Amino acid sequence: MKLLQFLIIFFFVFNPLLSREYIVLQSTTSTANTGLLEILSDNFFKETGIEVRAIAVGTGTAIQNAKRGDGDLLLVHSKTDEINFVKEGYGVERFDLMYNDFVIVGPSSDPAKIENASSLKEIMNILHSSDTKFISRDDNSGTHKKELSLWKNANLLLPSSNFYIKTGTGMANTLNIASEMQAYTLTDRGTWITFKNKKNLRILFDKDSSLYNPYGIIALNPIKFPHVEYEKSMRFIDWLINGNGKLLIENFEVNHQKIFFINE
Amino acid sequence: MINYQKIFEAISISLHVSILSTLFAFLLSLFLGYLIAINKFFLKKTIIACLASLTSIPPVCAGLIVYLLISRSGPLGWMEILYTPSAMIIAQFFIIFPIMITLIINYIEDEYPRFRQELNSYGASKRDLIFLMIVNKKSIYFTVLLIGFGRAISEYGAAAIVGGSIDHVTRNMTSMIALETSKGNIIVGVILGLVLISLSLIISFVMSVMKKKDHV
Repeated sequence: MKLLQFLIIFFFVFNPLLSREYIVLQSTTSTANTGLLEILSDNFFKETGIEVRAIAVGTGTAIQNAKRGDGDLLLVHSKTDEINFVKEGYGVERFDLMYNDFVIVGPSSDPAKIENASSLKEIMNILHSSDTKFISRDDNSGTHKKELSLWKNANLLLPSSNFYIKTGTGMANTLNIASEMQAYTLTDRGTWITFKNKKNLRILFDKDSSLYNPYGIIALNPIKFPHVEYEKSMRFIDWLINGNGKLLIENFEVNHQKIFFINE
Repeated sequence: MINYQKIFEAISISLHVSILSTLFAFLLSLFLGYLIAINKFFLKKTIIACLASLTSIPPVCAGLIVYLLISRSGPLGWMEILYTPSAMIIAQFFIIFPIMITLIINYIEDEYPRFRQELNSYGASKRDLIFLMIVNKKSIYFTVLLIGFGRAISEYGAAAIVGGSIDHVTRNMTSMIALETSKGNIIVGVILGLVLISLSLIISFVMSVMKKKDHV
Protein backbone atom coordinates (compact mmCIF):
# COMPACT_ATOMS: atom_id res chain seq x y z
CA MET A 1 0.00 0.00 0.00
CA LYS A 2 2.81 2.34 0.87
CA LEU A 3 4.33 1.76 -2.53
CA LEU A 4 1.05 2.74 -4.16
CA GLN A 5 0.83 5.90 -2.09
CA PHE A 6 4.37 6.69 -3.03
CA LEU A 7 3.65 6.23 -6.71
CA ILE A 8 0.58 8.45 -6.54
CA ILE A 9 2.56 11.19 -4.82
CA PHE A 10 5.33 10.71 -7.37
CA PHE A 11 3.01 11.37 -10.26
CA PHE A 12 1.35 14.35 -8.65
CA VAL A 13 4.62 16.01 -7.88
CA PHE A 14 6.09 15.50 -11.30
CA ASN A 15 3.15 15.53 -13.54
CA PRO A 16 0.54 18.24 -13.23
CA LEU A 17 -2.25 17.10 -15.51
CA LEU A 18 -3.73 20.59 -15.53
CA SER A 19 -3.38 22.87 -18.51
CA ARG A 20 0.25 23.52 -19.26
CA GLU A 21 1.83 26.94 -18.94
CA TYR A 22 4.32 26.06 -21.63
CA ILE A 23 4.29 25.03 -25.26
CA VAL A 24 6.74 22.65 -26.88
CA LEU A 25 8.27 23.81 -30.14
CA GLN A 26 9.75 21.16 -32.41
CA SER A 27 12.45 23.03 -34.23
CA THR A 28 15.73 22.79 -36.06
CA THR A 29 19.31 23.07 -34.90
CA SER A 30 19.83 26.06 -37.21
CA THR A 31 17.31 28.23 -35.36
CA ALA A 32 18.40 27.09 -31.90
CA ASN A 33 22.18 27.20 -32.37
CA THR A 34 22.08 30.78 -33.57
CA GLY A 35 20.45 31.82 -30.31
CA LEU A 36 17.32 33.20 -31.97
CA LEU A 37 14.90 30.81 -30.28
CA GLU A 38 16.27 31.73 -26.88
CA ILE A 39 15.65 35.43 -27.45
CA LEU A 40 12.18 34.78 -28.82
CA SER A 41 11.12 32.50 -25.99
CA ASP A 42 12.54 34.80 -23.30
CA ASN A 43 10.63 37.78 -24.67
CA PHE A 44 7.42 35.87 -25.30
CA PHE A 45 7.58 34.62 -21.73
CA LYS A 46 8.02 38.16 -20.39
CA GLU A 47 5.02 39.41 -22.34
CA THR A 48 2.59 36.55 -21.88
CA GLY A 49 3.85 34.27 -19.14
CA ILE A 50 3.86 31.37 -21.60
CA GLU A 51 7.09 29.45 -21.73
CA VAL A 52 8.27 28.19 -25.13
CA ARG A 53 10.33 25.03 -24.78
CA ALA A 54 12.31 24.37 -27.92
CA ILE A 55 13.57 20.97 -29.02
CA ALA A 56 16.40 21.37 -31.53
CA VAL A 57 16.64 18.45 -33.94
CA GLY A 58 16.83 18.10 -37.71
CA THR A 59 13.78 19.04 -39.78
CA GLY A 60 13.00 15.40 -40.60
CA THR A 61 13.13 14.36 -36.96
CA ALA A 62 11.10 17.38 -35.87
CA ILE A 63 8.36 16.49 -38.37
CA GLN A 64 8.36 12.84 -37.26
CA ASN A 65 8.14 13.89 -33.61
CA ALA A 66 5.28 16.26 -34.40
CA LYS A 67 3.44 13.54 -36.32
CA ARG A 68 3.57 11.45 -33.16
CA GLY A 69 1.96 14.33 -31.30
CA ASP A 70 5.05 15.25 -29.33
CA GLY A 71 4.98 19.02 -29.26
CA ASP A 72 2.57 21.86 -29.96
CA LEU A 73 4.30 23.69 -32.78
CA LEU A 74 6.61 22.93 -35.66
CA LEU A 75 9.22 25.39 -36.96
CA VAL A 76 11.24 23.86 -39.79
CA HIS A 77 12.69 24.55 -43.22
CA SER A 78 11.49 22.13 -45.84
CA LYS A 79 8.52 23.66 -47.56
CA THR A 80 7.16 20.62 -49.41
CA ASP A 81 7.26 18.53 -46.25
CA GLU A 82 5.52 21.30 -44.35
CA ILE A 83 2.76 21.53 -46.94
CA ASN A 84 2.30 17.76 -46.82
CA PHE A 85 2.23 17.89 -43.04
CA VAL A 86 -0.75 20.24 -43.19
CA LYS A 87 -2.40 18.30 -46.02
CA GLU A 88 -2.23 15.06 -44.07
CA GLY A 89 -4.13 16.75 -41.25
CA TYR A 90 -1.33 16.96 -38.69
CA GLY A 91 -1.18 20.74 -38.80
CA VAL A 92 -3.75 23.48 -39.21
CA GLU A 93 -2.04 26.02 -41.42
CA ARG A 94 1.49 26.80 -42.53
CA PHE A 95 2.74 30.35 -42.06
CA ASP A 96 5.81 31.80 -43.75
CA LEU A 97 7.97 32.98 -40.90
CA MET A 98 11.36 34.05 -42.20
CA TYR A 99 14.11 33.07 -44.59
CA ASN A 100 17.82 33.06 -45.13
CA ASP A 101 20.00 31.15 -47.55
CA PHE A 102 22.34 28.22 -47.88
CA VAL A 103 26.01 28.60 -48.68
CA ILE A 104 28.66 26.16 -49.83
CA VAL A 105 31.73 26.28 -47.63
CA GLY A 106 35.07 24.57 -48.08
CA PRO A 107 38.79 24.90 -47.43
CA SER A 108 40.06 28.39 -48.26
CA SER A 109 42.61 27.00 -50.70
CA ASP A 110 39.64 25.59 -52.66
CA PRO A 111 41.39 22.48 -54.04
CA ALA A 112 38.44 21.59 -56.28
CA LYS A 113 38.35 25.12 -57.74
CA ILE A 114 34.63 25.66 -57.37
CA GLU A 115 34.94 29.36 -56.71
CA ASN A 116 35.38 30.20 -60.38
CA ALA A 117 32.45 28.07 -61.49
CA SER A 118 29.64 29.94 -63.14
CA SER A 119 26.64 28.00 -61.90
CA LEU A 120 25.50 25.81 -59.09
CA LYS A 121 25.08 22.90 -61.50
CA GLU A 122 28.68 23.18 -62.53
CA ILE A 123 29.78 23.20 -58.88
CA MET A 124 27.79 20.09 -58.12
CA ASN A 125 29.40 18.42 -61.12
CA ILE A 126 32.87 19.39 -59.97
CA LEU A 127 32.21 18.19 -56.43
CA HIS A 128 30.76 14.97 -57.79
CA SER A 129 33.78 14.04 -59.85
CA SER A 130 36.66 15.56 -57.88
CA ASP A 131 38.53 13.71 -55.19
CA THR A 132 38.01 16.32 -52.49
CA LYS A 133 35.79 15.41 -49.61
CA PHE A 134 32.17 16.52 -49.41
CA ILE A 135 30.32 16.14 -46.14
CA SER A 136 26.64 15.30 -46.10
CA ARG A 137 24.36 15.75 -43.08
CA ASP A 138 22.54 12.53 -43.96
CA ASP A 139 19.97 13.07 -41.19
CA ASN A 140 16.84 14.06 -43.11
CA SER A 141 17.26 17.63 -41.97
CA GLY A 142 16.20 20.57 -44.11
CA THR A 143 19.80 21.12 -45.13
CA HIS A 144 20.21 17.47 -46.06
CA LYS A 145 17.04 17.57 -48.15
CA LYS A 146 18.36 20.68 -49.85
CA GLU A 147 21.64 18.98 -50.61
CA LEU A 148 19.83 15.98 -52.11
CA SER A 149 17.80 18.31 -54.32
CA LEU A 150 20.99 20.04 -55.49
CA TRP A 151 22.44 16.74 -56.75
CA LYS A 152 19.12 15.91 -58.34
CA ASN A 153 18.78 19.28 -60.07
CA ALA A 154 22.22 18.82 -61.58
CA ASN A 155 21.05 15.44 -62.92
CA LEU A 156 23.53 13.59 -60.78
CA LEU A 157 23.19 10.45 -58.75
CA LEU A 158 24.39 10.65 -55.16
CA PRO A 159 28.18 10.33 -55.03
CA SER A 160 29.15 6.88 -53.84
CA SER A 161 32.88 7.36 -53.49
CA ASN A 162 34.88 7.45 -50.28
CA PHE A 163 35.04 11.21 -50.69
CA TYR A 164 31.33 11.56 -49.93
CA ILE A 165 31.12 11.43 -46.14
CA LYS A 166 27.86 11.06 -44.26
CA THR A 167 27.87 12.36 -40.69
CA GLY A 168 24.29 11.94 -39.55
CA THR A 169 24.58 14.79 -37.03
CA GLY A 170 23.54 18.42 -36.62
CA MET A 171 24.78 21.31 -38.73
CA ALA A 172 27.34 22.68 -36.29
CA ASN A 173 28.74 19.23 -35.69
CA THR A 174 29.00 18.66 -39.42
CA LEU A 175 30.86 21.96 -39.81
CA ASN A 176 33.27 20.81 -37.11
CA ILE A 177 33.94 17.67 -39.10
CA ALA A 178 34.30 19.64 -42.32
CA SER A 179 36.83 21.97 -40.74
CA GLU A 180 38.81 19.07 -39.29
CA MET A 181 38.80 17.15 -42.59
CA GLN A 182 39.21 20.20 -44.83
CA ALA A 183 36.10 19.20 -46.74
CA TYR A 184 33.28 20.95 -48.57
CA THR A 185 29.76 21.07 -47.20
CA LEU A 186 26.43 22.82 -47.55
CA THR A 187 25.27 24.89 -44.59
CA ASP A 188 22.65 27.46 -43.77
CA ARG A 189 24.14 30.92 -43.38
CA GLY A 190 22.85 31.31 -39.82
CA THR A 191 24.73 28.34 -38.42
CA TRP A 192 27.79 29.34 -40.43
CA ILE A 193 27.90 32.87 -38.98
CA THR A 194 27.42 31.58 -35.44
CA PHE A 195 29.89 28.73 -35.80
CA LYS A 196 33.08 29.37 -33.84
CA ASN A 197 35.50 26.71 -35.06
CA LYS A 198 35.83 27.77 -38.72
CA LYS A 199 39.61 27.27 -38.90
CA ASN A 200 40.38 27.86 -42.56
CA LEU A 201 36.96 27.11 -43.97
CA ARG A 202 35.28 29.90 -45.88
CA ILE A 203 32.26 30.55 -48.07
CA LEU A 204 33.02 29.53 -51.65
CA PHE A 205 29.63 29.88 -53.22
CA ASP A 206 26.48 31.74 -52.20
CA LYS A 207 23.75 34.12 -53.33
CA ASP A 208 22.12 31.81 -55.84
CA SER A 209 18.34 31.81 -56.16
CA SER A 210 18.17 28.04 -55.72
CA LEU A 211 19.86 28.33 -52.34
CA TYR A 212 16.84 30.12 -50.86
CA ASN A 213 15.98 28.77 -47.41
CA PRO A 214 12.49 29.58 -46.13
CA TYR A 215 11.28 28.69 -42.63
CA GLY A 216 7.65 27.95 -41.92
CA ILE A 217 5.74 27.58 -38.68
CA ILE A 218 2.74 25.32 -38.10
CA ALA A 219 0.55 24.71 -35.05
CA LEU A 220 -0.43 21.08 -34.54
CA ASN A 221 -4.03 20.22 -35.30
CA PRO A 222 -6.09 20.15 -32.07
CA ILE A 223 -8.67 17.88 -33.71
CA LYS A 224 -6.05 15.24 -34.40
CA PHE A 225 -4.15 15.83 -31.16
CA PRO A 226 -6.61 16.92 -28.44
CA HIS A 227 -3.80 17.46 -25.93
CA VAL A 228 -2.02 20.28 -27.79
CA GLU A 229 -2.13 23.83 -26.48
CA TYR A 230 -3.57 25.26 -29.68
CA GLU A 231 -4.65 28.67 -28.35
CA LYS A 232 -1.26 29.36 -26.84
CA SER A 233 0.51 28.12 -29.97
CA MET A 234 -1.53 30.43 -32.17
CA ARG A 235 -0.78 33.32 -29.85
CA PHE A 236 2.91 32.60 -30.32
CA ILE A 237 2.56 32.39 -34.10
CA ASP A 238 0.61 35.65 -34.19
CA TRP A 239 3.23 37.29 -31.99
CA LEU A 240 5.97 36.12 -34.37
CA ILE A 241 4.25 37.24 -37.54
CA ASN A 242 2.49 40.43 -36.49
CA GLY A 243 3.79 41.31 -33.05
CA ASN A 244 7.06 41.98 -31.30
CA GLY A 245 8.48 38.67 -32.42
CA LYS A 246 8.74 40.02 -35.94
CA LEU A 247 10.83 42.97 -34.76
CA LEU A 248 13.06 40.67 -32.75
CA ILE A 249 13.73 38.45 -35.76
CA GLU A 250 14.44 41.49 -37.95
CA ASN A 251 16.86 42.97 -35.44
CA PHE A 252 18.54 39.71 -34.55
CA GLU A 253 22.25 39.85 -35.26
CA VAL A 254 25.26 37.68 -34.58
CA ASN A 255 28.70 39.25 -35.06
CA HIS A 256 26.94 42.31 -36.55
CA GLN A 257 25.39 40.22 -39.29
CA LYS A 258 21.70 39.67 -39.87
CA ILE A 259 20.83 36.01 -39.92
CA PHE A 260 17.11 35.79 -40.65
CA PHE A 261 14.93 37.97 -42.84
CA ILE A 262 11.19 38.50 -42.78
CA ASN A 263 9.15 37.63 -45.87
CA GLU A 264 7.72 40.78 -47.43
CA MET B 1 31.94 35.44 -23.17
CA ILE B 2 31.23 32.34 -21.10
CA ASN B 3 27.73 32.26 -19.73
CA TYR B 4 28.30 30.96 -16.21
CA GLN B 5 24.64 31.17 -15.35
CA LYS B 6 23.88 28.54 -17.98
CA ILE B 7 26.65 26.32 -16.72
CA PHE B 8 25.25 26.48 -13.19
CA GLU B 9 21.80 25.80 -14.54
CA ALA B 10 23.05 22.68 -16.32
CA ILE B 11 24.84 21.53 -13.18
CA SER B 12 21.75 22.00 -11.04
CA ILE B 13 19.54 20.20 -13.57
CA SER B 14 22.02 17.32 -13.68
CA LEU B 15 22.14 17.11 -9.89
CA HIS B 16 18.39 17.38 -9.48
CA VAL B 17 17.65 14.68 -12.05
CA SER B 18 20.42 12.29 -11.06
CA ILE B 19 19.86 12.57 -7.32
CA LEU B 20 16.17 11.81 -7.70
CA SER B 21 16.69 8.96 -10.15
CA THR B 22 19.33 7.46 -7.86
CA LEU B 23 17.07 7.74 -4.83
CA PHE B 24 14.09 6.14 -6.55
CA ALA B 25 16.22 3.37 -8.03
CA PHE B 26 17.89 2.80 -4.67
CA LEU B 27 14.66 2.56 -2.68
CA LEU B 28 13.07 0.22 -5.18
CA SER B 29 16.14 -1.95 -5.53
CA LEU B 30 16.49 -2.18 -1.75
CA PHE B 31 12.87 -3.24 -1.43
CA LEU B 32 12.78 -5.65 -4.38
CA GLY B 33 16.35 -6.78 -3.81
CA TYR B 34 15.48 -8.09 -0.35
CA LEU B 35 12.29 -9.70 -1.60
CA ILE B 36 14.12 -11.49 -4.39
CA ALA B 37 17.19 -12.46 -2.38
CA ILE B 38 15.44 -13.73 0.75
CA ASN B 39 12.52 -15.62 -0.74
CA LYS B 40 12.58 -18.72 -2.88
CA PHE B 41 10.28 -18.71 -5.88
CA PHE B 42 9.81 -19.90 -9.41
CA LEU B 43 12.13 -18.28 -12.01
CA LYS B 44 14.21 -16.61 -9.32
CA LYS B 45 17.51 -17.42 -11.01
CA THR B 46 16.22 -16.26 -14.39
CA ILE B 47 15.09 -12.93 -12.97
CA ILE B 48 18.44 -12.38 -11.29
CA ALA B 49 20.25 -13.27 -14.51
CA CYS B 50 18.06 -10.90 -16.52
CA LEU B 51 18.70 -8.05 -14.09
CA ALA B 52 22.42 -8.77 -14.20
CA SER B 53 22.51 -8.66 -17.98
CA LEU B 54 20.54 -5.41 -17.98
CA THR B 55 23.34 -3.76 -16.00
CA SER B 56 25.14 -3.11 -19.25
CA ILE B 57 22.17 -1.60 -21.10
CA PRO B 58 23.48 1.23 -23.31
CA PRO B 59 22.01 4.57 -22.20
CA VAL B 60 20.74 5.39 -25.69
CA CYS B 61 18.72 2.16 -25.74
CA ALA B 62 17.22 2.90 -22.34
CA GLY B 63 16.40 6.37 -23.64
CA LEU B 64 14.82 4.98 -26.78
CA ILE B 65 12.65 2.54 -24.82
CA VAL B 66 11.47 5.22 -22.43
CA TYR B 67 10.90 7.57 -25.36
CA LEU B 68 8.66 5.04 -27.11
CA LEU B 69 6.73 4.52 -23.88
CA ILE B 70 6.08 8.16 -23.03
CA SER B 71 5.76 9.62 -26.51
CA ARG B 72 2.27 10.91 -27.26
CA SER B 73 1.55 7.90 -29.43
CA GLY B 74 3.06 5.54 -26.85
CA PRO B 75 1.16 3.72 -24.09
CA LEU B 76 2.06 6.30 -21.43
CA GLY B 77 1.63 9.36 -23.64
CA TRP B 78 -1.29 10.63 -21.57
CA MET B 79 1.07 11.38 -18.71
CA GLU B 80 2.58 14.30 -20.66
CA ILE B 81 6.07 13.83 -19.33
CA LEU B 82 8.11 13.68 -22.54
CA TYR B 83 10.61 16.57 -22.63
CA THR B 84 10.43 17.15 -18.87
CA PRO B 85 12.91 16.41 -16.09
CA SER B 86 10.62 13.59 -14.92
CA ALA B 87 11.22 11.82 -18.22
CA MET B 88 14.96 12.10 -17.66
CA ILE B 89 14.57 10.72 -14.16
CA ILE B 90 12.70 7.69 -15.52
CA ALA B 91 15.26 7.07 -18.26
CA GLN B 92 18.16 7.22 -15.82
CA PHE B 93 16.22 5.02 -13.46
CA PHE B 94 16.16 2.30 -16.12
CA ILE B 95 19.90 2.55 -16.57
CA ILE B 96 20.91 2.39 -12.92
CA PHE B 97 18.17 0.26 -11.38
CA PRO B 98 19.56 -3.06 -12.74
CA ILE B 99 23.02 -2.15 -11.49
CA MET B 100 21.87 -1.23 -8.02
CA ILE B 101 19.52 -4.15 -7.54
CA THR B 102 22.11 -6.65 -8.76
CA LEU B 103 24.68 -5.32 -6.31
CA ILE B 104 22.18 -5.45 -3.46
CA ILE B 105 20.99 -8.97 -4.31
CA ASN B 106 24.58 -10.18 -4.45
CA TYR B 107 25.33 -8.70 -1.08
CA ILE B 108 22.24 -10.11 0.62
CA GLU B 109 22.63 -13.55 -0.87
CA ASP B 110 26.14 -13.64 0.51
CA GLU B 111 25.32 -12.37 3.96
CA TYR B 112 21.81 -13.55 4.70
CA PRO B 113 22.52 -17.23 5.61
CA ARG B 114 25.25 -16.24 8.02
CA PHE B 115 23.12 -13.57 9.65
CA ARG B 116 20.23 -15.94 9.98
CA GLN B 117 22.24 -18.61 11.68
CA GLU B 118 23.66 -16.19 14.13
CA LEU B 119 20.45 -14.43 14.92
CA ASN B 120 17.96 -17.27 14.86
CA SER B 121 19.38 -18.36 18.17
CA TYR B 122 18.36 -15.00 19.63
CA GLY B 123 14.85 -15.42 18.25
CA ALA B 124 15.03 -12.49 15.85
CA SER B 125 12.24 -12.10 13.33
CA LYS B 126 12.76 -11.68 9.59
CA ARG B 127 12.08 -7.97 9.90
CA ASP B 128 14.67 -7.57 12.62
CA LEU B 129 17.13 -9.45 10.47
CA ILE B 130 16.67 -7.18 7.51
CA PHE B 131 16.95 -4.13 9.69
CA LEU B 132 20.15 -5.44 11.18
CA MET B 133 21.59 -6.27 7.80
CA ILE B 134 20.96 -2.75 6.60
CA VAL B 135 22.32 -1.08 9.71
CA ASN B 136 25.28 -3.37 9.99
CA LYS B 137 26.84 -2.57 6.66
CA LYS B 138 25.74 0.93 5.82
CA SER B 139 28.82 1.46 3.70
CA ILE B 140 27.71 -1.18 1.19
CA TYR B 141 24.50 0.71 0.53
CA PHE B 142 26.33 3.96 0.36
CA THR B 143 28.64 2.49 -2.24
CA VAL B 144 25.66 1.23 -4.23
CA LEU B 145 24.16 4.72 -4.06
CA LEU B 146 27.36 6.32 -5.27
CA ILE B 147 27.82 3.85 -8.10
CA GLY B 148 24.27 4.53 -9.27
CA PHE B 149 24.68 8.27 -8.95
CA GLY B 150 27.99 8.26 -10.78
CA ARG B 151 26.50 6.34 -13.66
CA ALA B 152 23.36 8.51 -13.75
CA ILE B 153 25.11 11.86 -13.80
CA SER B 154 27.70 10.92 -16.39
CA GLU B 155 25.24 9.23 -18.73
CA TYR B 156 24.71 10.80 -22.13
CA GLY B 157 22.06 9.63 -24.52
CA ALA B 158 19.08 8.58 -22.46
CA ALA B 159 18.35 11.91 -20.79
CA ALA B 160 19.10 13.74 -24.04
CA ILE B 161 16.58 11.69 -26.03
CA VAL B 162 13.69 11.93 -23.60
CA GLY B 163 14.56 15.38 -22.22
CA GLY B 164 15.13 17.04 -25.57
CA SER B 165 17.98 19.19 -24.20
CA ILE B 166 15.63 22.15 -23.66
CA ASP B 167 17.32 25.31 -22.44
CA HIS B 168 16.59 25.99 -18.71
CA VAL B 169 14.48 22.84 -18.43
CA THR B 170 16.22 19.65 -19.45
CA ARG B 171 19.67 20.67 -20.63
CA ASN B 172 21.94 18.82 -18.22
CA MET B 173 25.71 18.82 -18.10
CA THR B 174 26.34 16.03 -20.58
CA SER B 175 23.93 17.32 -23.22
CA MET B 176 25.35 20.83 -22.78
CA ILE B 177 28.87 19.51 -23.33
CA ALA B 178 27.75 17.77 -26.52
CA LEU B 179 25.85 20.84 -27.73
CA GLU B 180 28.47 23.46 -26.96
CA THR B 181 31.29 21.36 -28.37
CA SER B 182 29.33 20.85 -31.56
CA LYS B 183 28.85 24.61 -31.83
CA GLY B 184 32.59 25.06 -31.54
CA ASN B 185 32.32 26.45 -27.98
CA ILE B 186 35.00 24.11 -26.78
CA ILE B 187 35.78 26.09 -23.61
CA VAL B 188 32.28 25.63 -22.16
CA GLY B 189 32.55 21.92 -22.87
CA VAL B 190 35.90 21.82 -21.10
CA ILE B 191 34.56 23.62 -18.00
CA LEU B 192 31.59 21.26 -17.71
CA GLY B 193 33.82 18.29 -18.41
CA LEU B 194 36.07 19.33 -15.52
CA VAL B 195 33.06 19.62 -13.23
CA LEU B 196 31.96 16.12 -14.21
CA ILE B 197 35.42 14.66 -13.77
CA SER B 198 35.86 16.24 -10.35
CA LEU B 199 32.44 14.92 -9.32
CA SER B 200 33.41 11.39 -10.25
CA LEU B 201 36.78 11.78 -8.53
CA ILE B 202 35.01 12.90 -5.35
CA ILE B 203 32.67 9.94 -5.61
CA SER B 204 35.43 7.38 -5.98
CA PHE B 205 37.40 9.02 -3.20
CA VAL B 206 34.42 8.82 -0.82
CA MET B 207 33.91 5.21 -1.88
CA SER B 208 37.45 4.21 -1.08
CA VAL B 209 37.26 5.96 2.30
CA MET B 210 34.06 4.09 3.10
CA LYS B 211 35.67 0.78 2.16
CA LYS B 212 38.59 1.42 4.50
CA LYS B 213 36.23 2.22 7.35
CA ASP B 214 34.45 -1.03 6.72
CA HIS B 215 37.56 -3.13 6.98
CA VAL B 216 38.62 -1.68 10.34
